[in-house]
Amino acid sequence: MNGLDSTTGQTLETVMRFAAARQAILAHDIANSSTPGFRAVDVPVDAFQRSLSEAVDAAREGRTDGLQPEHTEGVRFEGDRVVLEPRPRGENILFHDRTDADADRILADLAENTLAFRAAAELYRHRTALILSAIRERP
Amino acid sequence: MYGLFDISTSGLVAQRVRLETIASNLANQETLLDAQGRFSPWRRRSVEFAVGDQSHGGGLGVHVAAIQESDTFDLRFQPGHPYADTEGYVRYPDVDPVIEQIDALDAVRAYEANIAAVEASKSMFSSALGLLA
Repeated sequence: MNGLDSTTGQTLETVMRFAAARQAILAHDIANSSTPGFRAVDVPVDAFQRSLSEAVDAAREGRTDGLQPEHTEGVRFEGDRVVLEPRPRGENILFHDRTDADADRILADLAENTLAFRAAAELYRHRTALILSAIRERP
Repeated sequence: MYGLFDISTSGLVAQRVRLETIASNLANQETLLDAQGRFSPWRRRSVEFAVGDQSHGGGLGVHVAAIQESDTFDLRFQPGHPYADTEGYVRYPDVDPVIEQIDALDAVRAYEANIAAVEASKSMFSSALGLLA
């Protein structure tokens, strides 16, 4: 993949949009850690990554015009927007107040999600800097 | 993306209300009279959380749905006490300091978790702002 083609930018943008939307869901889980009967929710990240990686391959091979990821489990791509449909995580036992939020996992996911966003933002910034230096014809 | 802060803030507000309730329970664990000086033992208060942030009209976040007042009292046998009933029992607030302390710890930890979420969102914002610079 050429670092300056539009697919790179679109991919990084999609990752940032996804991470921003998922951050809201994880913040929601944390805010409700004391709500009786609350079941923690999330979206399948691996399904999103698979769909994105297939879309990148298709764009690179010229099968699609630009990046066109397909809707996947819990994730819909509507134009420029990434719409998430969270579902119960269901990864923990029920506590006495009928909640199942696993604080450690949610906070770890939050940290990971933040890093994913920052990594994408940093790559995007480098890409922009690269384009700028190409325009100026000096590093 | 600004909505991120609203979600975590709703968690902070809810936990703060919970902590205020706990503090008033602890402060009033021996209170027998109301503000007008009439006999009315303090009723233990507890918050009820519900999903969704009403102040911002979103389905995400949390809010305090109600503050329940307990109907039970701690009966202590104190004949001769000015507020003792005919059998010599005085109704004291049903506040267990141990339970309140543990509740307070839980509230503080939950508050910190929301702060951690705000910090994470802030760092995302700053890297997004870095794209402009």
